[in-house]
Amino acid sequence: MCDPREMIRSGLPLAEHQAKDLLASYGVNVPPRVVLSPEGTGVSEVPFPYPVALKVSHADILHKTEMGGVRLGIPDRAGLEAAVADMRSRFPGKSLLVEAQQPPGVEAIVGLIYDATFGPSLMVGLGGVLTELYEDVAFRVAPISEEDARDMLSQLRAHRLFEGFRGIRASRDALVSVLLGVSRLAQELGEHIEQMDLNPVIVYADRAVVVDAKIRPRQPS
Amino acid sequence: MASLDAFFAPRTVAVVGASRDPAKIGHLVTKYLLESEARVYPVNPSAREILGRPCYPALESIPGEVDLAVLAVPAPATVEMVRECVKKGVRAIIAQASGFGETGEAGRRLETEIRDILSSVPGDRRPRLLGPNTLGVYVPRNRLDTTFTVRERSPRPGPGDIAFISQSGATAVCIMEAAASMGVGLSAFAGIGNKLDVDENELLDYFAADPHTRAIAFYLENFRDGRGFLERCRRITPRKPVVVLKAGRSASGMRAAALHTGSLAGSDRVVEGALRQVGAFRAYDEEELVDLARVLGQGRPLAGRRVAVLTTAGGLGVILTDLLESRDRGVGLELAPISEEGKARLRSALVPFASVHNPIDLTANSSNQHYADALRVLEEEEDVDAILCVMQFQSPYVDEALADLIIDRFHHGPKPMVVVTIGGELSWRGLRRLGEARVPVYPSLWRAVRATAALYQRGCYLARCTGVTAQGTAAAQLRPRAWEGGSCHV
Repeated sequence: MCDPREMIRSGLPLAEHQAKDLLASYGVNVPPRVVLSPEGTGVSEVPFPYPVALKVSHADILHKTEMGGVRLGIPDRAGLEAAVADMRSRFPGKSLLVEAQQPPGVEAIVGLIYDATFGPSLMVGLGGVLTELYEDVAFRVAPISEEDARDMLSQLRAHRLFEGFRGIRASRDALVSVLLGVSRLAQELGEHIEQMDLNPVIVYADRAVVVDAKIRPRQPS
Repeated sequence: MASLDAFFAPRTVAVVGASRDPAKIGHLVTKYLLESEARVYPVNPSAREILGRPCYPALESIPGEVDLAVLAVPAPATVEMVRECVKKGVRAIIAQASGFGETGEAGRRLETEIRDILSSVPGDRRPRLLGPNTLGVYVPRNRLDTTFTVRERSPRPGPGDIAFISQSGATAVCIMEAAASMGVGLSAFAGIGNKLDVDENELLDYFAADPHTRAIAFYLENFRDGRGFLERCRRITPRKPVVVLKAGRSASGMRAAALHTGSLAGSDRVVEGALRQVGAFRAYDEEELVDLARVLGQGRPLAGRRVAVLTTAGGLGVILTDLLESRDRGVGLELAPISEEGKARLRSALVPFASVHNPIDLTANSSNQHYADALRVLEEEEDVDAILCVMQFQSPYVDEALADLIIDRFHHGPKPMVVVTIGGELSWRGLRRLGEARVPVYPSLWRAVRATAALYQRGCYLARCTGVTAQGTAAAQLRPRAWEGGSCHV
């Protein structure tokens, strides 16, 4: 079974590349990427420019950074080949994900949770390492309207980050569009998802890109 | 008789477990119900007469129909009496006893028995049940009162605008008593207890349609059907404000926290977002619940964020300015600019050392007339979205007629108004007088500012509903009467 929708409905956990396929199908921006299967050997040329990021992509590995499963800023093909060889030796039997490295930007978190009282609910907040530090987040029950999405952002203490604060250019509309995509996903699959973290979602002047995605399905009762 | 009317406006009430012993609940319930407009039938097999009324040995011996039966008997007997209510064709049952699901497995089994009895009756003849584990109802305007706290110790609120629905009876008694002491009235109180049948959602619908209710306040510890509550709020809040004190914020959020979203959600942040999404207000304590319900029910939404402060004590004006304008220790509103013409008019009406800049300070030499003149000027100021009026009685030229003047301007003036009074017995007398006249008045600067901010938020929400920007709407268009009965979809 490899359709991510069917996997979610069956309560199967997704690897990161599958989560990103799923998000892309709801119109949510994810980086250009190729998946290297566990069986493969070398690396063919990647269809996007360097630098690239290399990550182990497997449903069992939720916190891959802590396990040394992420290499960022790989400058060229030689570097990528070396990194792939190293990663394969440390994570045998696991798929690897090569992605176009995303430049720095304003980091947001977008989440989805199955709330015991209200059902599927969305979250947005300050992302990256600041998420836990400031806990600056807002929730709404899915589905949300565009107005709801804007109101969520306006509720953040950091809302000015998306309103041109000190010349920082992070498109509020682009982040709203991610929220609306996740809301559509929640409408179809929210009953089957326990939690989902998109963190960071890097917000630029003209777009927002989901750089990391974790999904935990609800176990079917 | 429409579904839940039998709880709030019954023609006939039976008290099962009525008692001659003044220390018994069945005595107090009978005694208070005898003051209501309903015809009361005490039921007790071992008494012939209670409080001067003939007592019936059983429900079925009552001649004629029984709209409401109050079951003031212990839990196990309650089950049997529900069966009797079904036989008699009673429309509504208030099951007051504790000792049901809230105590454990044995109690849950009793609830299941009751549920089975009720569900065995065809829908059109099935009695509705409030509780168990509830004080029942209190409706000031028809004096229907099944709550059994002693009135001398626990005065009840008078008639008013707020419907109050509580999952805890004793808490509700405290909140109602505190409201009564401020002259705040209720359209009705309902204790939902263990919500075996009637729950918060049904009562939300009921009071949304109730012409006596202008704001609906909840004390809840859980939601029977959270999505259902939100859907109702979405429909109702454009017409009638809803305020929710949802307690149990920290404990219930136990969930797998493998991901950030889960650890950040608790259950509480979701509640907060969900209520905001559907235009309901959230209160965080008992004081805020009543403070918000009254201002939202009685006050007019603000069309903008500019507030004029009218005071007789300079310092109070300065503190109010801080609380209004500060973003971290205040509400982030603004002080309204006063026009040159307005200042000139104030200067000629007030004492020479009065301040005609906002906050407008009438000084300790103020008189009723100064208040009247200043209010008139502020009412005609285009840039003033609301008036925050400090009502003080210390000046020798002010008397209690000031309260009437402010009541008049609140109800008949063109601007939204919130009143605050700081002081002792005279202040409290004024406070109660305004409360009874359905004017939002507070004994603290912060509470008055918070109430003003709630009216601003309400204005923004209604503007969102109608697609008009808050800044660009004339205050008159947002007057409460204008949207009652009107349609407004979010």
